[in-house]
Amino acid sequence: MSLLTNVMDHSLDDGYAEAAARKRTDGAGGMPRTVGAKLVLAAGLVLAALVVTVGAVQARVAAPVVAKEREELIDRIDRETDAADTLEGTVDKLRDDVSTRQREALEHSGGGKRTDLVGILAGAVEVHGPGVKLVVDDAKEATSGVGNGPRETAGFSDTGRVRDRDMQRVVNGLWASGAEAVSINGQRLTALSAIRAAGQAILVDNKPLVPPYTVLAVGDGKNLSTRFQDSADGLYLNALQENYGIRTAISVVDDVRLPAAPSVIVRTAQPRTEKDAS
Amino acid sequence: MIAVLGLVVGVVAGLLVQPEVPAAVVPYLPIAVVAALDAVFGGLRAMLDGIFDDKVFVVSFLSNVVVAALIVFLGDELGVGSQLSTGVVVVLGIRIFSNAAAIRRHVFRA
Repeated sequence: MSLLTNVMDHSLDDGYAEAAARKRTDGAGGMPRTVGAKLVLAAGLVLAALVVTVGAVQARVAAPVVAKEREELIDRIDRETDAADTLEGTVDKLRDDVSTRQREALEHSGGGKRTDLVGILAGAVEVHGPGVKLVVDDAKEATSGVGNGPRETAGFSDTGRVRDRDMQRVVNGLWASGAEAVSINGQRLTALSAIRAAGQAILVDNKPLVPPYTVLAVGDGKNLSTRFQDSADGLYLNALQENYGIRTAISVVDDVRLPAAPSVIVRTAQPRTEKDAS
Repeated sequence: MIAVLGLVVGVVAGLLVQPEVPAAVVPYLPIAVVAALDAVFGGLRAMLDGIFDDKVFVVSFLSNVVVAALIVFLGDELGVGSQLSTGVVVVLGIRIFSNAAAIRRHVFRA
C-alpha cells in the first residue's frame, strides 16, 4: 500500500515545491512575470492543448473508420450472397430445363412411368406425398459454445450432441423402413449422399447443417413411422434420447415436400450412337 | 494573458490542422494525452497553491509525455505493453484525481 500512498501524497510534482523554495530565497514567486517566462509557459500550454486535441481528434477519426470497414464487409457479404443466390437460381432453372428435355427424350424412346420412378428414387425430381417428419436436436445441456452456429460449438466429445453416425443410422433406418425419399434440413438425399462430420458440424453432401436436424421422409406415413420406431435404428434413437437427452420428435405428416437433389450426375451411362442402335 | 492565448492557439491548431499522426506514434498517443492532462492538472494546482513555476511546468509536461510514451514503447518491445500502459494510466490517473481534488478544495473550499 505504501506505493499507492506515495503516489497519492506526491500527486503534485516535487519540482514545484523546490522551485517555490528557491524563489522564496530570491524574493520572487507565484505566476511568471517576465515576458520570456510567459512565452515559455504559453509554448508549454500550446503543446499540452495540441496533444490533448490531437488525441481527441484521433479517437474521433478512428471510430468511424472501423465502423466503415465493418459496413463495407457486410456490404460485400450481402453482395456475394446475392450473387450466390442468383447463381443458384440459374442452376435450378437449368436443371428444370434439363429434366424437361430428359423427360421428352425418354418419352420418345418409350420411358414413361419407369423413368418417373427412377427419377424419384434417384432424387432427381421434386417429390411430395404422405410421410413422416423427424426432428433430432442436441440435448438441452449440451454445451453449444459461444453462438448457436455449428462452427462455434464445443465439440463432438460432448455426449449430448447429435453426431454424424447418429444421423447416418437414422437415415438408413428410414430407408430400410420403406421411405421412398429422404431429406435433411431441406437437402435431398440420394444413393450417393454422404453424411459426415467435419470439425464440429455435420455435413450432408459437403454442406454444413445447423441443429435442429429435420428429417423428412416420403413413404407410407403411419406404417413408415411405426416400422422405423420398431427397427434397430429407431430403438437406437430411442436409446440416445433416454441416455443422453438428445431430443427427438417423430410425427406423421399428410403431405411433405422434398426438393430435388442439387447434383445428379450420370456416371456410367453413355449416349447411344447410331451404330449401336439396334 | 499570453498563456491563455497559447492554450487557445493549441486547441485551434489541433482542430484546424488535424495533423496526420504517424502510424508509429499512434499507440502512444492516448498515454501521451493522459500524461499531458496530468501535467496540466499539476500546473493548475500549483498555480492555485501559489507555487507555480513556468519552467517546472513545461519541463514536467515534456518529460511526462516522453517518459510515458517511452515506457509503453519499452513494454511493447518486451511484450508487456498493455500491462505497462495500465500501470502508467493507473499512476497518472491517481495523480490527476488527487490534483483535481486539491483544485476542487481550492475553488469551492470544500
